[in-house]
Parts: sequence; structure tokens; C-alpha cells
Amino acid sequence: MVTPMTAQTTQLSAEQAGYLTAGPGRAAETALARLIDAGLVRVSRDGLVSAVHQTNHGATTPVEARLLNHARAAVRFDAILQSTATSTEMTQLHEHLLGRGLMQRPRRRSPAWVFSLGVAVFLVFLGFSTPAFFIGVPIALLFFVWQRGRGAVTKAGKEVLRQVTASDRVHAVALYGFAGKVSGHKVGDLFDLSQSVVKMIPLKKKHRSSSDGGGCGSASSCSSCGSGCGSSSSSCSSGSSCSSGGSSCGGGCGGGGGGD
Amino acid sequence: MAGITDLGVGIGWRSEIDLTVERLPGVDFVEVVAENLHGDVQRGHLPESVRLLLERGIPVLPHAVSLSLGGADPVDLTRVEHLGEVAEAVGAPMVSDHVCFVRAGGLDSGHLMPVPRTKDALDVLVANVRLAQQNLPVPLALENVAALLEWPDGELSEGQFLAELVERTDCWLLVDVANLYANARNIGTDPERFLDEIPLERLAYVHVAGGVDHGDVYHDTHAHAVLPEVLGVLDELCSRVSPPGVLLERDDNYPSDSEIASELAAIRAVVDAHRG
Ligand SMILES: [Fe+2]
Repeated sequence: MVTPMTAQTTQLSAEQAGYLTAGPGRAAETALARLIDAGLVRVSRDGLVSAVHQTNHGATTPVEARLLNHARAAVRFDAILQSTATSTEMTQLHEHLLGRGLMQRPRRRSPAWVFSLGVAVFLVFLGFSTPAFFIGVPIALLFFVWQRGRGAVTKAGKEVLRQVTASDRVHAVALYGFAGKVSGHKVGDLFDLSQSVVKMIPLKKKHRSSSDGGGCGSASSCSSCGSGCGSSSSSCSSGSSCSSGGSSCGGGCGGGGGGD
Repeated sequence: MAGITDLGVGIGWRSEIDLTVERLPGVDFVEVVAENLHGDVQRGHLPESVRLLLERGIPVLPHAVSLSLGGADPVDLTRVEHLGEVAEAVGAPMVSDHVCFVRAGGLDSGHLMPVPRTKDALDVLVANVRLAQQNLPVPLALENVAALLEWPDGELSEGQFLAELVERTDCWLLVDVANLYANARNIGTDPERFLDEIPLERLAYVHVAGGVDHGDVYHDTHAHAVLPEVLGVLDELCSRVSPPGVLLERDDNYPSDSEIASELAAIRAVVDAHRG
């Protein structure tokens, strides 16, 4: 039997697991899920989120407190996720994860980014127009992957995340998002959320800021998701659920899902 | 009158708490605010939640707030028509509005203003109610409102005023016991006398709502818990007649599902206590 980890054992809250899995959008979803689970917030069929009490009583994290505050007057599901994901409280959560060494700042925001892209494009053209075709294109692709940066989630982060399972509906949201699936069930259904509400989850963000988490933002984690997220950059967003841990990619790109 | 003999205990359906209303135990009927249902209601474009409740066989009663039947301005027939369309869309056995005016001289007060209880005002009200009734596909019930002040020169008590209204229009009554309590607290009317004077055989159903005390004034907010005193007025009513239905109105600061459920249970307990 494996000896239980001792000093290195790191506890992750569902909210933190959400952040590590797919960034601030997912952490916001997880905070909302926890509040619905605790009966502190209700969501209507047309996606109006409202706090049950007029106080922040019951919030267990600053992100939850922020969300409860915002929901004192009914607010749209997508709007509250967006505002929570971009809040200072969420930035503080990111700082906390950085401080614990579970995340690192991505490399791709270096000033050389545009230059790198130019070089990659040049190499692609070179590859197609010269006999060096078979060399130019792979080099360009490698270059592209490099310039997108290293993964935002560190090895240590992936390690603790691997121990997180969808043991309850809140953790299911952390790992797969409201739009994802767990054991064949739509996660949104576990919360009585209609598909029209789930589809309100912001799909795409034009620019991923350096504070964004893992998920599709890091080339390494996307490639490990196979067709789930990596193939199309447009389906990758902070709200999607391409997991950084290769083993938990089952949920696919949550934000892009939603069939009927 | 078919369909409203036993409505049971209900709650006002509001979009913010639609899922709560759907999953609450012991909801026998709901009310929808007619003005909140827009669009092609006559073509069945109802909120999904309302459709679901109808499929379950839960009666849905449209409640209007804007007909301004107590006003001197002519009745806005487009509003009456919309109320009728909502009634037909949900297959309602009746609709309701208030004994009040909300508009005067083209201005909207935004409040349910009490009607002066004079013979002249009653004549105007009767004419408006008759016009509305002629343009509605189902019977109309009218509700007593809460007033913060009384018009001078009132010739009739509120009970007498409503009794005469029923006599002349054959309308039904929707008695709001929270409004009765509010008027008792704020302008000193007597709920028992009111109940003695109105024709209880024309009682369609009853409203119960929450409010809050602000010093000497009671505010009928529909955003706070139901006071025991309001349930006391319901108890008084139930000692005289078995109401066809009792409905909890909550319009804001929606509490947890369990708190709403216990308010409904408290209402049911009062009603059942008199049924033996
Ligand atoms: Fe009422």
C-alpha cells in the first residue's frame, strides 16, 4: 500500500480546485455552486441569481462573500459569474495559489510575444514554399507552443489537483463546470439548472490575462485534452473545462458543450 | 361557480422563485401577476415554469395591478383585454384586481391608492367594474387594499362599500387579511366589523402577506415574514367561513425554501383548524 503523504499533503478547497482546473471563470462557478448547495443563493429558470439573505452570513471565502453581495438584488447568471471571475477577491485567490506554488505566471506575456508570432508565421511560409517543408512547419508549431507559454499550473498544483474527485456536486462543478458532465449526468442538472441557463456561461474571452488559471490557457494542458479543447482555440476559454490534469479531461470543453 | 370551490393553499408565482414554487410541498394553486406576463400569451408563450405547473394540474390565477377600476379616468380596455388573454392562456377560473386607483389625470402613482368611500366614487367604481366584466372571459374578484390614510367625508365603512359593490356588480371578493390588519393598525378600522359586513358567500379566496412594524406604522411590504397577528385575522375569517383558497404573497427578499414552506404550513394549520 502507498504510504499516505505527510508533510506535502495539501488541502484544496473546491473553489481552489476550480481555479486550478480552468481558471477564474471556473472558480466563480464553483463559488456559486457552493452557495446554491448551502441554500444561500437561488437561481430561477430564466437565470436570475438572488441571495436568500440580505447579509453575507454563510460565506466561507472572500469570493463567496463578493458573490453574495452582488446577488442581493437579482442578477443574471452570466453577469454574476463574469463579475466574480474578474473581481479583486478572485485576483487574491490567484495570488494565494501563486504563493503556495500551485500556480506560476505564464511566460507568454513577455514583450517578445508579437515578435515570436511573427517568426512562427514566417517559418510556416518558409515551410510551405521551400523544400524544407518538413522542417519549417514543425519548427513553427513548436515555436507557437513555446510562445503560448508554460502551464499556469505547476507540477505541485497538478499533483494536488489529481487528488480532487467529483465527490459531491460542488466538486463536480469545480472539475467539470455547470456545463460539463459527471458519470454521464449533466452537472447543471444536479443543481436543477435548465440548459438555457447553463448555456449563459461565458464561452470565450478575447484575451486571457496573466491572472488566468490553468485549463486551456496553457498549451501543455490543452494538448493533453486531445480533441476536447485543444484543437480549436475559439473553444478554449477561462470558462471551459479542459482540465490541466490529463486524467480528468472527460468533461470536455464545458463552456462549449450544451447540446440540446 | 365551478373551479374555485376548493383552491387550497397557494403562493404567488414570481419568476425569481419559480423553481422554489415548483418544488415546494403543499402548493395547491398559484397566482401570476398578469402585467408581468408579456408577449404572445394568447399563443401559449408562457414562462416554462408556469407551463409546468399547469401540466401538473395546478390552477394558475391571474392577478392584475393596473386596471385602476376606482379611478375617474376611463378604463383602459387594452389592459382588460391583456388580463383576459392571460386568463385564457392559463385556463383560469377567475381573475382579480384591486378596489383602488393607480392612475389619475394620466399620471401613474405606482401605488394602489384607496378609493374615497362615497356614493359618487362607488358609482364610478361600479361602472368601471361592469365595463371590465363585459370584456373579461371569466369572473372578476376584487381585493381590499391597505391604506395609509383615509379620504375625508367617507359615507360608508369599507365593508359596506364592498358589500354594495358586490350587490351592484355581482363581482367576487378577494380578501387580503394583511391589508385588513394594516388598516386596523394604521387607520383604526375594525377587521371584525369588516368581516361582518361583507358578503362572505362571495369570497373567492384570501391573501396573506408579510410586513414590518415601523414604530406606529405597519408597512405591508410583502418582503418580510407574516406576522402572527395577520394569521390571527385569517383565523377570525376562518371562524366565519371556510375560504375556498388562501394564498401567500411574497414579492421581495425571498427567504429560503424552508422558510417559505413553513409560512405555507402555518397558513394551512389555521385553515385546517376550522375544518375539523
Ligand atoms: Fe394582496
